[in-house]
Amino acid sequence: MTTYFDLIHGGIPLSGVEIIDLHAHLGPARFMHIPANDPAGMIEAMDLCGIDKTVVSTTVGIDADIVLGNNSMLEAVRSYRGRLYGACMVNGHYPELSLDELHRCFSEEKDVKMVKVHPFSTFCNIKDSRMKGIFRFASDRRLVVLVHTWLDNDLYGNQDIFAEIARDYPDIQWIMGHSGGPYGSQHAVELAQKSDNILLDTTLSMTPAGQIEFFVSEIGSERVIFGTDNPFLNPRPQIGRIGLADISQRDRVNIFSGNAHRLIDFSGSA
Amino acid sequence: MVNIQKLRFFDCNCSVGRVAYPHLSDIPDVEGLLKEMGRAGIEEAMVYHTVARYGHPPAGNALLTEAIKNNPRLHPVWVLLPHHTGEMPHPGRLLPEMEKHHVGAARLYPGANYHNFSLSEWCSGELLGALEEAHIPLIVDMDTVSWEDVYKILDNHKQLPVITATCTYRNNRYIYPLLEKYDNLFVELSRFMGAGTIEDMVERFGSHHLLFGTNMPQYTGTAAVSLLTYSAIDRTAKQAIAGENLGNLLKEAWK
Repeated sequence: MTTYFDLIHGGIPLSGVEIIDLHAHLGPARFMHIPANDPAGMIEAMDLCGIDKTVVSTTVGIDADIVLGNNSMLEAVRSYRGRLYGACMVNGHYPELSLDELHRCFSEEKDVKMVKVHPFSTFCNIKDSRMKGIFRFASDRRLVVLVHTWLDNDLYGNQDIFAEIARDYPDIQWIMGHSGGPYGSQHAVELAQKSDNILLDTTLSMTPAGQIEFFVSEIGSERVIFGTDNPFLNPRPQIGRIGLADISQRDRVNIFSGNAHRLIDFSGSA
Repeated sequence: MVNIQKLRFFDCNCSVGRVAYPHLSDIPDVEGLLKEMGRAGIEEAMVYHTVARYGHPPAGNALLTEAIKNNPRLHPVWVLLPHHTGEMPHPGRLLPEMEKHHVGAARLYPGANYHNFSLSEWCSGELLGALEEAHIPLIVDMDTVSWEDVYKILDNHKQLPVITATCTYRNNRYIYPLLEKYDNLFVELSRFMGAGTIEDMVERFGSHHLLFGTNMPQYTGTAAVSLLTYSAIDRTAKQAIAGENLGNLLKEAWK
């Protein structure tokens, strides 16, 4: 019998499990050179490590211009149907424009599935009053909102602020991006235990030993989301983290794609 | 049944010992490290002691010697200080001691929050020169030194293998120009995660500058394994990065 250990060590995509990445980006970044930052490069990496679907928001949308970023997202989604899906980028400093973008992206393109908020890069507190219209839009449609979070050194979107806003909007499913970073696991679990609409994200470059097992044991695999940050981060390490974690196969399937399917309707999109 | 030819992994970036601020899990002992290595499928590792890094190097190095004795899968790395204060012997006496304990590589933590000394020649020159003469790889953790420091060491000690550990995915604009100039730079991959970076570096510079590392047991080793196994480079390059490059560096030590 070929095990996940064998497949991962052989560089062979995992068989018998769909993999859906709900935390990914697109395009170059100012911090560093990313050789494979375009949609084709992302698809190649996804094929090599067995990721079936990826939801993207663009780096330029996070760091500069949400309209430009959403345009690139839409183009990528339309170029790779059934593989790439969209997360509409919003920015609280532009509340009306953000609402326009939400209406545009979700009405024009059925494969836009989520909303992405990056308080740390936009320096806009997630509790800023200008975010209210954005969150009402998401709440009315019961959308999934992905928020970049960090344990500390983040005045705009740390885990506690994130948890407060999650309680204010119970109809939104909130993904705690990066689960508060490499030192945030304990607090992430504490907050998720208090709010059923908080989901924890596995996306990280610093990959604490035992984190996946800890999440599953404390809040259950039904609330752990697979993410990679592709292409900002290479998606390949995340396959090993989940594939070789000391959890059951049922838990693994939940994380890799079962939860994504429960949150988002991907049918009719391929 | 798929026929798998597993790579043999030799990790250049591991530790034993407790830390004050763990990421999550408390894995202080050799047994815990070996368990993590087993889960990830990593055969051997170069190991330093956390007390040598976060506490006092001589005490930590002694703890390491005791902790990993009789473990053929674990190879000692000592954390060093320049000799001027007398906390560590002059390199003329230190290096024979290291050879006696089969120390394969050295680490330095010069930053103000660590051991608080200068890597410049007036402070560390004799030590760096002695390591260079003995071909002992120097591991510097990029959380704790600057790229300007790395440049100066590479330039002043062209025969000294310098391993930059815990490089982040944001470091390649520093690394590429250094690799264009210096053959003695080696990059550890535990956080070197930009998409397509391994492939791009192998194409530009070859595979021999890249070393497999994990930062276990703080990090899991499973992520670093699949970073490499799923890379779009040929098996020869993968095996070189997984362990052969490090093995080749260590073969040169103490010659």
